[in-house]
Amino acid sequence: MGLTRRQFLKWSGASALGAVVFNGCNIPSEELQIVSPVEMPEELALGRDNWYATVCGQDAGSGVIVRVVDGRAKKIEGNPDYPTNQGKHSVRSEAGLQALYHPDRLASPKYRSQRSGEFSDISWDEARLILTENLKNENITLITDPLNGHLALLIDEFTKGSGATYKAFSSVEEGNLGNAVQAVFGESRIPDFDIANSKYILSFGADFLSTWQSPVRYSTGYGEFRQGGSVRGTHVHVDSRFSMTAANADDWVPVKPGGEGVLALSIAYVIIRDGLAPSAIVSKLTDGEGSDYLSAFDPANGDVQKATGVDAHRIEDLAHAFVDPSNQPSLAIGGGSAGAHTSGEFNLKAIYALNLLANNLNKVGGVRFNPDSPLESLNSDDVLSKGRAAGLKEWQDLAGAGVGAVVIRGANPSHGLIKDANFTSLMDNASFIATFASSMDETASKSNLVLPELNYLETWGDNIPNPGPGYQTFGLQQPVVTPFNENASSFADEIIKLSENLGLDLVSKLGIDDDKTLHGLIRNGAQELWSQGRGSVKSATFEGFWQGVLQRGGWWDVDATKVSSGTVNAIDASWPTIEFGGEKGEGSDVFHLIPFISNSIADGSLANLPWLQATPDPVTSMTWHAWVEINRETAEEMNIKEADVLELSAGGVTVKGPAYIHPAVPPWTVSMPFGQGHYTGEYSGGVGENVLAVVSSLADKDTGSLAWAATRVKVKNLGNTDGERVPKMEGTVEAYEAEERYILQITGPNGDGKGSH
Amino acid sequence: MLRKKYIFILGLVIALGVGGLVTTVGLGFVLKAWWGTPFEAFGFGGSPEQPVAFPHTVHAGTGLLTDSEGNPKLDLEGKEMNGLGLDCIYCHRAVTESPYAGVPPVEFCVYCHKTVGSDLPEVKKLLEAWDSQTPIRWERVHRLPDHVRFVHEAHMRYFTQPGNILPSGEQAMVASAVCSTCHGEIGTMTEVKQVRSLKMGDCVDCHRANNAPTDCTTCHY
Repeated sequence: MGLTRRQFLKWSGASALGAVVFNGCNIPSEELQIVSPVEMPEELALGRDNWYATVCGQDAGSGVIVRVVDGRAKKIEGNPDYPTNQGKHSVRSEAGLQALYHPDRLASPKYRSQRSGEFSDISWDEARLILTENLKNENITLITDPLNGHLALLIDEFTKGSGATYKAFSSVEEGNLGNAVQAVFGESRIPDFDIANSKYILSFGADFLSTWQSPVRYSTGYGEFRQGGSVRGTHVHVDSRFSMTAANADDWVPVKPGGEGVLALSIAYVIIRDGLAPSAIVSKLTDGEGSDYLSAFDPANGDVQKATGVDAHRIEDLAHAFVDPSNQPSLAIGGGSAGAHTSGEFNLKAIYALNLLANNLNKVGGVRFNPDSPLESLNSDDVLSKGRAAGLKEWQDLAGAGVGAVVIRGANPSHGLIKDANFTSLMDNASFIATFASSMDETASKSNLVLPELNYLETWGDNIPNPGPGYQTFGLQQPVVTPFNENASSFADEIIKLSENLGLDLVSKLGIDDDKTLHGLIRNGAQELWSQGRGSVKSATFEGFWQGVLQRGGWWDVDATKVSSGTVNAIDASWPTIEFGGEKGEGSDVFHLIPFISNSIADGSLANLPWLQATPDPVTSMTWHAWVEINRETAEEMNIKEADVLELSAGGVTVKGPAYIHPAVPPWTVSMPFGQGHYTGEYSGGVGENVLAVVSSLADKDTGSLAWAATRVKVKNLGNTDGERVPKMEGTVEAYEAEERYILQITGPNGDGKGSH
Repeated sequence: MLRKKYIFILGLVIALGVGGLVTTVGLGFVLKAWWGTPFEAFGFGGSPEQPVAFPHTVHAGTGLLTDSEGNPKLDLEGKEMNGLGLDCIYCHRAVTESPYAGVPPVEFCVYCHKTVGSDLPEVKKLLEAWDSQTPIRWERVHRLPDHVRFVHEAHMRYFTQPGNILPSGEQAMVASAVCSTCHGEIGTMTEVKQVRSLKMGDCVDCHRANNAPTDCTTCHY
């Protein structure tokens, strides 16, 4: 077979063409691949966020929304829908993340049989067994933070079933406030003060823009009060310390400690004497006697001026302004240091009675009452009492009566009670102490058994805000993240397990046989809410209702308000006994000690969160310390300079802190924040000293509430040998009084202040 | 001579017959691939072999998991295991904001797999890729015809808008419910394969059904 040259060229040409054509049609295999790059490209940032609504565990009564990215909580904001805080939130809410991710969180239950021994890590099964064994056949004393909602119901059933003694703990309790509200208004719930629509506010002691009761709600209202209406509201604050609220007021009346009640009655006297209040109310308040009934409180009376430190003209002016028609509606608020005296309850009753004279009950801009919760089961007094913190007298009685086994949760009485509350002896005499805590604190470190508790962002719960917004509100707390600490448990669920182990019939009494958790109990409550078919969430099905409540962070019914006439009993007009503990002697170095609740770390329960320690105090800009505020001129006289260490002593005990010199501290007082002086905690340990060490053990004679503002101390300058500086945010220029000057000056065309007309 | 002639004709008939058959089969193969999905033969259609045998059943599915012999997979406590039910866009993150759904980077897989299942042979391949910093080259399963552009983002946006109804007749609440419209129930596929032709006819049918534009430049630009 022959191949001609022509044929060869033909064939080779064809095969070359074929190769080109067929190869061209083929797609290279790598072009059919998708490559996973090794590292995360920047534009593929992680982070699709979800916002979950819940209630805040660090600023009671606030609703929050939490930004959750990839299962981790990243940011907390106020819930815009929630009735009390309406989208605003406090620094305390903000710092919830730090509690969630805190390095001090306990990784497992810890146990020691001897309270002097070392703790060892145990499993939850062992812990439950130890807890059951030690509580069986023992008198149980249960101490928790003030409870509310379904958890209070659960604990109420538990204490009834087990016969346990229950005490709610709060370092700075306001038992006098509850009693005064009950006495004046006949109400068991703190009313809502309609600050937003008021025209004139007269507040006593209550630092309501910072820490008192529902500060986020009050601050929002305050903005409206000042700038919302056509007339800027006037605010006068009576306080023995220059607080943030005092700093915001138009007029601050520095009152002698304990004299708040006398001042309030003196104002009432002037109003009644001048016939400026409705005569029917006056007649009831004074037993028909009129102003004579209160004659002891005539501002002209020297005793009044001595007790209050306020001169007669000013009292007359305050009284007239309070009931002036152009200032209506006006509002009187009292609490905080005004109620923390031996005459605390008297003071608050006198202050709240001013509202009766201003006739502002159930009115816009006045005192509006909070209705009962929409769930009948949560309204019994037994359940409500779980939210009322015990006073000094109750602690002393408890220690005196002797306790068996003690279970503590969310409370740190070893740090937050004064020595004379005898909590140390209570602990020493206890047969067994179990503490639910998220990290080791002063109380947990004295226990036998420490049980790591889940954070509020990881558990179910609910909250019926007290004070509420003036209508029925039910806040729902849901786990917004899966537990960051997997080896922690929920207090409520452990109590349910414990009650089963102790053979108590709690589960069937509460009707949670199917879902034996707090979640089950809350869902039952939600069923009842759903069946009422009213309020902010309505749905044909229960599941739809439940989802709606979860999404909104709660349920409320703006139409479910309450009208209360108040009791209008005769005012307690006997001159009060205002006593002071601590230093008895008179002298230029003896001062009234006015402790105050910190805007950030509160009563000390949040002292372990560095964001809050680092948040500057609104008045002094101080951070990370427990400082002593002292008047500038007094400091000059005593040769005290800023950062000099001052020793406050009372009855042989002392407490030290660096001096902060401020022109607005009343010359007869020194002030120090509550809550520091912890010896445990990564961030709280060793910060400042605990002012409660020198607070004397006086209490209100009727209620037994600690009179924490009724101590007098001797101040000694220990100097500043190390050249320390105070940790403040403001510059090195000392605070000074601003001269009185016009903010806006209207000048005429000639610049002579005269207009052309 | 005559016999020779018959043999030649017979041979011609057989050759034509075989050739015709081959041509018909070949034509059928091409036409099937042209109008629909190709037959699963000669490496066409079906599921290509992937560098790591990633099971969507475990990650995206929610059904009971079985091993290669059909026995249920058991966890450490001896309980039967279900798929994780991860949302599609947990890994295919770009789908709601870019033309491509994208595959996750190795690092993203390692976020979980540094602790989860690190003893499984396929996960070991992944961890080796991470240790040696080598990208993983996945074989493409879904491929569109040439000269057409498909933007995932616009389709996701349309079907997740309130009021817009999926071709299946449901209202899509979440992005991941939209995916199965074109990709099928990926969560039930151990190996992913293409379930729709994704050819022009397929696209245009759906566009017509949803009143979407059907002019040329919608897809060809």
